[in-house]
Formats: sequence, structure tokens, C-alpha cells
Amino acid sequence: MMMMDNQLQTQTQFQCWFPVLRRFGPDDPFFASGNIERELLAKQVALDFTEEEKQQLRNLDDEDSEVICPIVGCGANLRSLVEFEDHYNARHTASCSVCSRVYPTSRLLGIHVSEAHDSFFQAKVARGYAMYECLVEGCGVKLKSYKSRHQHLMDKHNFPSSFDFFKKAQPSKKERSKKNQSKQRNATFNTENEEGSGASAMQVEEETLNGLVSAVSKLTTSDSTPSSISFGRRHTRGLTFVPRVVQRETKK
Amino acid sequence: MAGETPPSHRRDSIKQTVGNAAVQRRRQLAVSVAKERREAMFRTKRLCMEGISMNLEAATNGEKMIDEEPPVLESQTSKAVEELKLAVSFKGKDAVQNKVNALRELRRLLSRSGFPFVEVALKSGAIPLLAQCLSFGSEDEQVLEAAWCLTNIAAGTPEQTNALLPTLPLLIAHLGEKSSLSVSEQCAWALGNVAGESDELRDLLISQGALIPLAKMMVPDNGSTVRTAAWALSNLIKGPDPDAATELIKVDGVVDAILRHLKKSDIELATEVSWVVVYLSALSDVATSVLMRTDIVQILVDRLAASNNLQSIIPLLRSLGNLMSGDAYTTNVVLDPGHEITDSIIRSLSKCLKSEHRFLKKEAAWVLSNIAAGSVAHKQLICKSEAVSLLLQLLAGAPFDIKKEVAYVLGNLCVAPADGLGRPSLLLDHLVSFVRNGCLCGFIDLVSPADLEAARIGLHFIELVLRGMPNGEGQKLVEKAGGIDAIEQFQFHENDDLRMMAGLLVDSYFGETYGLDE
Repeated sequence: MMMMDNQLQTQTQFQCWFPVLRRFGPDDPFFASGNIERELLAKQVALDFTEEEKQQLRNLDDEDSEVICPIVGCGANLRSLVEFEDHYNARHTASCSVCSRVYPTSRLLGIHVSEAHDSFFQAKVARGYAMYECLVEGCGVKLKSYKSRHQHLMDKHNFPSSFDFFKKAQPSKKERSKKNQSKQRNATFNTENEEGSGASAMQVEEETLNGLVSAVSKLTTSDSTPSSISFGRRHTRGLTFVPRVVQRETKK
Repeated sequence: MAGETPPSHRRDSIKQTVGNAAVQRRRQLAVSVAKERREAMFRTKRLCMEGISMNLEAATNGEKMIDEEPPVLESQTSKAVEELKLAVSFKGKDAVQNKVNALRELRRLLSRSGFPFVEVALKSGAIPLLAQCLSFGSEDEQVLEAAWCLTNIAAGTPEQTNALLPTLPLLIAHLGEKSSLSVSEQCAWALGNVAGESDELRDLLISQGALIPLAKMMVPDNGSTVRTAAWALSNLIKGPDPDAATELIKVDGVVDAILRHLKKSDIELATEVSWVVVYLSALSDVATSVLMRTDIVQILVDRLAASNNLQSIIPLLRSLGNLMSGDAYTTNVVLDPGHEITDSIIRSLSKCLKSEHRFLKKEAAWVLSNIAAGSVAHKQLICKSEAVSLLLQLLAGAPFDIKKEVAYVLGNLCVAPADGLGRPSLLLDHLVSFVRNGCLCGFIDLVSPADLEAARIGLHFIELVLRGMPNGEGQKLVEKAGGIDAIEQFQFHENDDLRMMAGLLVDSYFGETYGLDE
């Protein structure tokens, strides 16, 4: 059960930082570079490696960082962090052209666009069709309301109840002041407190209006594709999640 | 080539085919040499090039190694084996000298750096002949040369090493205390190469009784033999089965010998012996507790402080790391925060953090993280040293794997030891100081879907900041550093724990009430 503390203390279920002793077995990859160096130093005379060869051999160790893409439903095999970054940028940064929210797969983006920006979708919902797709690829289940889909995600796929696909996320200060300005211009602007459950026709309208506003403002910005991987947020901060150091190394 | 001269056109075409074949062969050889060199790099084996005994060196010193073409050397090798065969079966006068000469010729061919012609020697049937040369009662020089050949054969590929099987019991036998020092050393060297090959061979050697004679070779004080024996032992006990390590520590005189050798000025000797300690402490709890009853930590710390070359630093650092991570006793009792020993090790670790070698920084950070997991006094000691500013710098700009280790140190420094009563309390002054120094960005960098362990510590630290920073500053700081984006990535992640953590953080700190009071 989620108990919210008034003082905004983290809920008690969160396992927090615990200082512990950490041990590695002698063959753990953690020690691989050191072991290689030991052998290099011991064999100087016998095998007569040039500095270049030695450096190449040292670098081999770095390349051994295979990654499996962890995004739900992807599971692609990548051979290094650099490859992973490429893969992620190519496959998982799908952004909505209407409201510029970013999603990790084009499928999820499509679901978002239907649910948030499509009046036909809303029309069908109103007529009782099961339109809300399960977010987990391959499941195939469709529900009649946002809420029931949410329930399905929790029951069948162990999603936390705090997970909100169409969350009215908190924009940054900059965004908030922008919004306040457009608030004065826009009578139908709703406050941030409105819950995302059951996207209504009014919401679609508001989305469309917001969409127009943001679309217009996008004409003037240079970069319309958000570089950050934040689903559902309108942030356009340029912080890619892959450690900067990897990018630095590829620049060599 | 002697004989009649063939018609000119035939001669040309023969020349052409021979030429092409030679070029191709040379190319093939070059490729396999390069591959062999690369593979040889990673092996924990050592080629014996210059021999052990002074007498032997004198005998071979005058020889020049003529740089022949590989095919020529190959045929010379098979010829040498043939000669050896003849010498072994010869029973007349000077039989021993014949054998020694033949062995020496073979040995020289097998001692070339780069590409010893092991394969050819094996195919020509060298092993049974070498085994015969090892028979009991044979002259020292004969046994020595034979063991030398076997050493270099065992430095090769797995197949080549496995070919030594028939000779192993003999090599082990010659480790005995009745053998001359150079003979036992050369046999130890050969066995070290065999042990370095695989788990199976290690187990085999142990079952054949190699451990105790090798261990005994480490007890006296003669530099070269002890060094080789120590190296061979480190290959023999390196596991994954911990039993050998446990058996080693029980051999009479071994513990004392280890401590004694670690105090010597002979750097190479102390290096090899410290590698033995690395494996003892990594694999065997029994060995660790036996060692902890001695003053080994003091010796290692002192030696580390005085060491300037990489070769000795690696095993010293790692031994200390292993001894510390195995048992809280090391940090709590031996490394008393009030004593010089603790200051000394922190200083040495800081020096390693400044090293140009990546892995050294990483391993030093690991050791520090375990000290930082100790008492509050330990944490304060680290915070007062130069280590902290180095760590913060590394967190900001080092490669990912180093950042991860550094993160463990810094995080451990912010949290008091667990007292068994729920959440450990925060060490606020440390936390605030680090955050003011800009550490948040580095932690947020770690929250990457590619590395779950890193993401976990990143999220954990973010939670500390959100919970602990005074005046609710935590939220704004995290947001400003791009933390919310980082957390939200995990809302689609397949890992349940991380998905939940992310959700909990967002709910508790960036929920609907966030930002409303502006």
C-alpha cells in the first residue's frame, strides 16, 4: 500500500542506501584489466610487444561491455555502450509532433497519439468500444477505459500503481511561466491538477490548442526533437541519459 | 640444387610455383604469428628464454641465433627431435653427453621469442623422448634441458599444454628437496605453465601432489627459486576451487615464509609472493583468518606506501582489498582510525586515484568504498583526507566504470553504518558538502538503462538527496540537474525493482503538489 507522508518523506517501501562490504572473486571481470596488465608487465622481454600492440590489447578489455536493451518489449543485443546509445537514439526516441512528449517505442507513441490527440478515438470510446490497448507489446488486451487499462497493467504485468501513462507531469519553471503567459491568452486552459484518467473530449480540445501553441513556438526553435529521453514530459533539456564519458570516448 | 639443369621454360614455371607457395606460406605464418602473440598475451604463462643455471648460460652464450626463415627452422626442429631419438636409444660411450647436446639443440629452437616451433616438435614425437630424459637418476643437466623444453611447449596453446600429461608426475617428482635448485626451479616453471592453462589441469596437478613440494620450495631464502615457485603456486591455487588455497596455508612454514619475503627488498620476489596472498585472500576464508592473525596488513600497507612501480602495486592493492572485503574485522580492528596505519593506507589509495592507469583508479576506489563502509570515524577520516576532492573530480569526469566505484565511496560516506533498526541515518554534513560540490550530476549520469547496478546506486543517492537536504532543497537540486528525466526513464524499464523505485521517487517528491507553492 502506498502511504504518502505529509512531510514528503520517501515511502517506507523504498530500500535506501545501505553501506556494505563488497567482494569480488579472483576471476571477476572487475579485475580483468589489472590481470592483463600483470601479464603485460611480466612478458615484456619474452614477447617483445610494441607500445602500440600493448595499448590495443589494453583497449580490448573496454570493448567487452555487451548490453541487452532493457526497454520493455525490445531486448535487442548490443555489443557495447556506444552501440547501445546509437540503438536507443534510433529506436526509442519517438516524439509526439503535437505535444512533444517522448516515448521509447513508436508503438507507444502511436498509442499516445490516438489516446490524446485523436477525436475519432474519443468518439469510439464514447460509444463503448474497448480502445485502450495494453502497453506491453504482445499482450493484445484492450480495455474500455484508461482506468481499467491501468488496472490491467497492475494486475497482469506488475506495473506499480504510481505508473501513469498519460501523466500530467510537472513542467519546469520555464515551462510553468510560459504556461502562465498562455493561460492569460487561453481561456480554456486547465490547471495542472487535472488527472490524466479518462481523457475527455475537453482534454483533447485543450491538447489541440496546446498543440497549436507549441507547434507555433516550435517554428522558431532550432531543435524540435527533444534530445532527452523523458516520456511524457515536455522537457527539452539536452541531457542524454548515456554517460557523457562514452560520447567523449567515441570522439577520439 | 645439384643435378641436371632442366629446360629453361620448365625452370621458370617451377620457380613461379615455388615463389607463390612461399609467399602464401609466409603470409599465413605472419597471420598466425600475430594471432599467437595476441593470445600469448592473455595467458598466465611464461616462456623460458634464458635459462636458470649460471653454468648453462655460459655454455649457450656464444651461440648466435641466426634469423632463418620459418620453414627452415621448422625442419631444423623436426631434425632436432630425430637427433634426440637417436641419442635416447644410444647406449654407448658418452650417451649422456649425446642426449644433452640433442636436448640443447631442441631447447634452443623452442626458446625463440615470438614463435617457438612447438607444433612441429610435438608432431615429430618429442614428448615421449623428453619423458624418458626425465627418468630418475638422470644427470642434472639432462633433466634441466628436458624440463626447459617442456616449459616452452607448455607455454603454448591448450592442445600443446595438454600434451605434457605423461610427463607431469616426473616433473612433480623432481621438485623434491633432493633435486638441485636449478632442476627443481625449471620443473616448477614448467608446472606453472601447465597450471596456468585450465581448471582441469590445475585439479589434475593437485591430485598428483604438486601443491606440497611447490609450497616447500617457497620456504627457504634463495631468491630465484622462491620467486618461480611462488609464481607457479599462484597459478596452481587460483581456483575456482578454493581447496588448494586452504591447503596451502596449512603447509608448515608457508605463512612465516610469506611474511618474511614480503619484507624483502627484492621487488620481483615480493611481487610474486603478494600474488599468492591475492589468491589466498580471494578464495579461502580459512586462509584469510590465518593471515589476519599475523601482522600482514601492516606489512602490506607499509610496502604499498613505499612502492613506486605498477608491477608491485597491483597485487599489494588487491591483497588489501581482498582482506578487507572478506571480513569486517580488518576495517574495524586492524585499521583503527586513530592509528598511522589507516592514514597510510588512505594516502596510498589517494595516490592510486591519481594514477594514469584506469584500472588502478577503479580498484583503489573499490578498496576505499569498503573502508567507507566502516565506522563513522573511518568515514570522517576519509573526508578529511585528499581522497574526497579526488573522488569528486573522478565522479565528474572519469569513465563510467570508475564513476560507479567512486559513487560507492561517496554514498557510503553519507550514510552511517546500519544498526539493525531500520534505515541507517544520514551523515548530513558529508551529504551537503558533496552536493554543494556538484556531485549530483555524476550520480544522475549513472542512472542509465544500460547498467542496472549503476542505475540502482544513482537512484539510491538521489533518494538520499531528496530525503536529506535541508529546507526541501533536494527536489529543486535534483530537478535542476536533470534528475527527474533520469528517474522517469525507468518507468518503462523491465526491471521491477527499478521501475518501482522510480515510481516511488516521483510520487513522493515530484507528485502533484510539487512546485505549487511558487
